[in-house]
Amino acid sequence: MSALIFWLLAICAGIGALAVVMSHDVMRLALGLGLVLLSTAGFFVLLGFGFLALAEVFVYAGGVLVLVLFAIMLVHRGEPGQPSLEVTHDPLILVGCVGVFALLLAVLRPVALQLQTSSGGSVDALGSVLLGDLLLPFELSGLLLLAALVAVVSVMGGDRR
Amino acid sequence: MSALLTGAAWGLAAASLIAVAALIGVWWERKVAGRIQMRFGPQEAGPAGLLQTLSDTLKLMLKEDITPTAADVPVFRAMPFLVFVPVASALVVIPYASGWAPFNIATGAVFFLAVPGLSVLGILLAGWASQNTYASIGGVRAAAQMISYELPRTLSVLSLCLLAGSLSTGTIRAEWRWWWVPLTAVGFLVYFISSIAEVNRGPFDLAEAESELVAGYFTDYSGIRWAIFMMAEYGGVVAASLFGAATFLGGGLGLSGVPGALLFVALTALIATAMIWAKWTFPRMRADQLMTFAWKVLTPMALVQLLAVGIALAARVVLS
Repeated sequence: MSALIFWLLAICAGIGALAVVMSHDVMRLALGLGLVLLSTAGFFVLLGFGFLALAEVFVYAGGVLVLVLFAIMLVHRGEPGQPSLEVTHDPLILVGCVGVFALLLAVLRPVALQLQTSSGGSVDALGSVLLGDLLLPFELSGLLLLAALVAVVSVMGGDRR
Repeated sequence: MSALLTGAAWGLAAASLIAVAALIGVWWERKVAGRIQMRFGPQEAGPAGLLQTLSDTLKLMLKEDITPTAADVPVFRAMPFLVFVPVASALVVIPYASGWAPFNIATGAVFFLAVPGLSVLGILLAGWASQNTYASIGGVRAAAQMISYELPRTLSVLSLCLLAGSLSTGTIRAEWRWWWVPLTAVGFLVYFISSIAEVNRGPFDLAEAESELVAGYFTDYSGIRWAIFMMAEYGGVVAASLFGAATFLGGGLGLSGVPGALLFVALTALIATAMIWAKWTFPRMRADQLMTFAWKVLTPMALVQLLAVGIALAARVVLS
């Protein structure tokens, strides 16, 4: 059963990834990205990492993707019926893509083979790791994000009115 | 396999609950709005106009389902469902009884906040796929608004998770104590206001402002697809009211049995009525007021609430 769900999700992720690369319509492209992100969340559920799946949906599908779409809608408005994006299919790009894919496969395959379906990844365990052993890096990354936020406001000039 | 079937059954139950709640909710909203505006509201069809929504539904189902020629057809046709399904899925993690929710996962509160948020994608793309300026502006407004109000809403629910020591909605209701109500009063207010903004209802209905944008992101929709958008809106109201009553107010204020269940339903109806009341009382906000309110008023309020809960919990440990 889980194999069937895995393959369904894999096909969805594949279609989404192809749409991101091949589509001429920016909106279809973004929809494809959404499909990839949601399928990834599905993989996390299959592996027993429920919280990670929800975080993926919350942050990436519900947040980052919406901001991407938002930016596209604000700056880019294609004429109806016209392709709104120039997509060139260079064979060299294909070579590069296959190369990166092979590299990822080579690096991730040993790790992926060790990965077992588990009920691990409980929120309690995650919380004690993040606020225990990894407290300093966790807080520092928060500080880094805050610094980035303050920097953006200061670069933009803040409230000019 | 049986897990899938159970899930499908609960999904069907959630969709039916929303359909029934929308039937009653639209009638109730029109009655309340009528009273606020010194009118009677619907009163011709059935006793006190109770059958008005039923006949409206029939009319909507029989109406032609128009797709604009310029629209991106498959995306345009699919988007009402992408808006409705995430909203309906919120209903399966609500704790209807102490310690029990239909989909009782350890991270139910995160599910409740994260998955319905996906409907913003549907709203944004519905606006875009219509190839209509009004619809696009409505979609962009909805996206900015829903992303901003997600933050205070999440923070307000977080203080409950802190009190219960769990992200599971069932545990939050099981752990509920009466002193949570005064302690999380500010958090409940933040939750209530940002929930109204999340479902794009007045005074936060900039995304569908009829005086400027015709109907915002669903300007070009008609018939049953338009009805599905409206159902999603009422579904959002029902989910937010049920969750607010079940967690912030502990179901029936901690009562068990039939009185508890009745009080739970009454409190849910009270929260939903308060949302309708707010819509028909306050004028629509301006876009910049909307953003200022979310980031400079609601978010600090939710943070202070979180701090207060933290201090209270620490004080409890020290005193005992």
